[in-house]
Parts: sequence; structure tokens; C-alpha cells
Amino acid sequence: MKVTLTDQEDITVVEVVGDIDSKTAPEFERSARQATDQNEKIAIDLTAVEFMSSAGLRVLLMVYRNIKAQNGKVVLAGVSEDIQDVMSTTGFINFFTIVGTTGEALSILKQS
Amino acid sequence: MMETKSFPGVVDSLDPLRDYIGELAARAGLSKKKTYSLILAADEIATNIILYGYERAGLTGDFSVLSEVTDSALTIILEDIAEAFDPLARELPSEEDLARSLDEREIGGLGIFLTVNGVDEFSWEYADGRNRNKFVMKIEGS
Repeated sequence: MKVTLTDQEDITVVEVVGDIDSKTAPEFERSARQATDQNEKIAIDLTAVEFMSSAGLRVLLMVYRNIKAQNGKVVLAGVSEDIQDVMSTTGFINFFTIVGTTGEALSILKQS
Repeated sequence: MMETKSFPGVVDSLDPLRDYIGELAARAGLSKKKTYSLILAADEIATNIILYGYERAGLTGDFSVLSEVTDSALTIILEDIAEAFDPLARELPSEEDLARSLDEREIGGLGIFLTVNGVDEFSWEYADGRNRNKFVMKIEGS
């Protein structure tokens, strides 16, 4: 798994490539924490993530809380159907805005 | 007939474990959704074995995947030699817990919840010095 952070004006895009499991979640967490430290508007691009375990959900929870504490906003992009099912079963889905592409995420964040 | 494959009890094994479970699911003809649920369940239980059964206890060991495909079901058993640990001993998050806001909820127990929720049958037993976590997926159309 690889995580890339890119700043677009006042938005940080977190792009994840690869599976998020208990081996890779610590790196996802470090990068996501760095992103929420840099900006209160975050887009997380999961287009290239096929698998995410509960270790990834824990990172999303941390992001949600950090962003909420700053009155910011987080948008998830490209979340696979399988991962959306897991987010739905665990009740996570109600607390995130999910869109198809990073482009859509950016336009929502720019307006917020 | 049972097939067995062993993996070192380290997090580097999770990726090859998921690939292997995916192969077994393909052989059994499971749907895409059931395949993902089974892979997730095996990953969650293997994670507990690796991080808590072995690493936290300072143990080194392998874990094994025993599997059997019949006309009606794919059965997978994860076996490890860590101390007895019943993943079902702890109360699972309730509907109410899962509906709770992310601001106030406890994060524990999600992995086991996803496991139990994602497979048709899940059980645990400890016998002959081994934990045996068993997953059953029924095969559609049977």
C-alpha cells in the first residue's frame, strides 16, 4: 500500500493505493493524521483500494473525529461496493460523504 | 478432502492469506460479495491471532488454513498454537452501538462483528493445544 498527500489550495487529497489491513493501516493512519494536521478539508481517494479491514475503519474514525474537532469536512472518493457494504454494516456510512471521483470530492470541498 | 496451508504468524502473511482464501472461494464458486465477506472474516481473525495470540504474547508460530469444498459449502478453519482465545467471548456491538454517532462510539469488537456477520457460520473451539476458528460459507444453488 502507498499513500500520497497532495495539497490543492486549502484541501489535502489523501490518495491510497493498495489494500488497507493491519500491516498497512499504521502508514495510512500516519498520513491521514498529517493531512488533518495540515488542512481541515480532506479528500480521501480510495479508488485503488480493493480491500479494507476494521483496521482501516479505525483510521476513518480517527479522521472523522479530527476533522469534526476542527469544524472541517472529509469526503471519500471511489469507495468500492464491497467497502461501502462494510461501512454500511458498521454504521460508518452515515457519517461520511461518499462520491465517485476525487474531482467531485474537490468541488464539494471547495464549496464548503 | 481437507487441504492445509501454513503461514508464518506475522502481518506480512495477511496479503498472501487473502489471496489464498480468494482462490478457495473461486474454487467453491462463491459470489463476489460472499468472497469478499469471507476474505474479510479470515483477515480479521488472522489479525487477532498474529497481533494478540503471537506478537503480544512474545510467541513465534505459524497458523494453518484447513479447507474443504463440498457441493453444499466451503469450510475454512484457521488453526493456531497461541493461548486459548475465544473471539466470541466478548460481547459484539449491538444494533444500538452501530447506530451510535462516531463521536461517542467504542471502536472495539468491529473485526469480530464483521466476521460473524459476514459468514454463514462461525465457531471457535480449543482442542489439542490449538485454537480452531471455523468459517462456513454455503454454496448458492445447493
